[in-house]
Amino acid sequence: MRALVIDDSRAMRRIVSGILEGLGYETQQAGHGREGLDALEGLAPDQLPDLVCVDWNMPVMDGLQFVSAVRSNPGWRSMTIMMVTSESEHTQIVRALAAGAHEYVIKPFTADAIRDKLALLGLLPQEAVL
Amino acid sequence: MTTLDSGERRRTSDTRPVITDLIDEVTVESIAQEAWISLVGEDEVLVPLPGGPVADPVSSWVDVVGPWTGSVVLTTGRRTAEELTRALLREHSPEVLEDEDVADAFGEIANVVGGNVKAALPGSSGLSLPDVGEAPALRNPDDLCRVELQWRGEPLSISVQGALPPLPAVS
Repeated sequence: MRALVIDDSRAMRRIVSGILEGLGYETQQAGHGREGLDALEGLAPDQLPDLVCVDWNMPVMDGLQFVSAVRSNPGWRSMTIMMVTSESEHTQIVRALAAGAHEYVIKPFTADAIRDKLALLGLLPQEAVL
Repeated sequence: MTTLDSGERRRTSDTRPVITDLIDEVTVESIAQEAWISLVGEDEVLVPLPGGPVADPVSSWVDVVGPWTGSVVLTTGRRTAEELTRALLREHSPEVLEDEDVADAFGEIANVVGGNVKAALPGSSGLSLPDVGEAPALRNPDDLCRVELQWRGEPLSISVQGALPPLPAVS
């Protein structure tokens, strides 16, 4: 399975990617929403990631704008989007879900929290289930 | 007779909250402890004791803009910020840390602590991207919630400080 991790913090990209790779994902990284869209635009439909983990507050294009842009492209509907962010207000969570995110993880998080969310979404790679 | 309000005199209703009305040290410390366990490591604890003066200080902070406006500022020594960066990156830590690595990792810790402080405040607020460098000046000593801690025996402080100067006294 493939994942795209979008966060302006390299440290956080490495942490999230490390967790996902430990679960069996192949990961790709982007530093903001625009870079994330550029990465997706270069991919054939069968190469699209199964999962996108995206931060909210980023320069150039924030996570909410990214989610809206992905959801406006019918060719990208298969991707599951999980916001991973320190924005923890209820109204922000509702906004993200309304824009088209499937799940929401609040920083700080544990590897188990990510694993549990992926299990709920049916996105745990087979090797992580066994 | 009509009296015009020149705005020179402040009304008694013109008040704004200071941070100590909204959050206390225990909450800030609890937010920081949770961030540390998750980001820095499960065995990493912040000891709630003042660690004395900070040598070669560096700060990371995020600004909160809303019913209360100010900054959430983490300050520690540069060496400690480097250690924090290595702890955060674990096996992904480069052999030689660049200033950029430290700014990125220390800034992310401020982002996580600040985001959770913001969530503990009433009303809806915006959060800036993190910044790293010399801490923003303290504008109003009464609008400050500060916790002093130690990590691995080194001093680290978290200040939730207002960005606005004190209001003039009501005449």
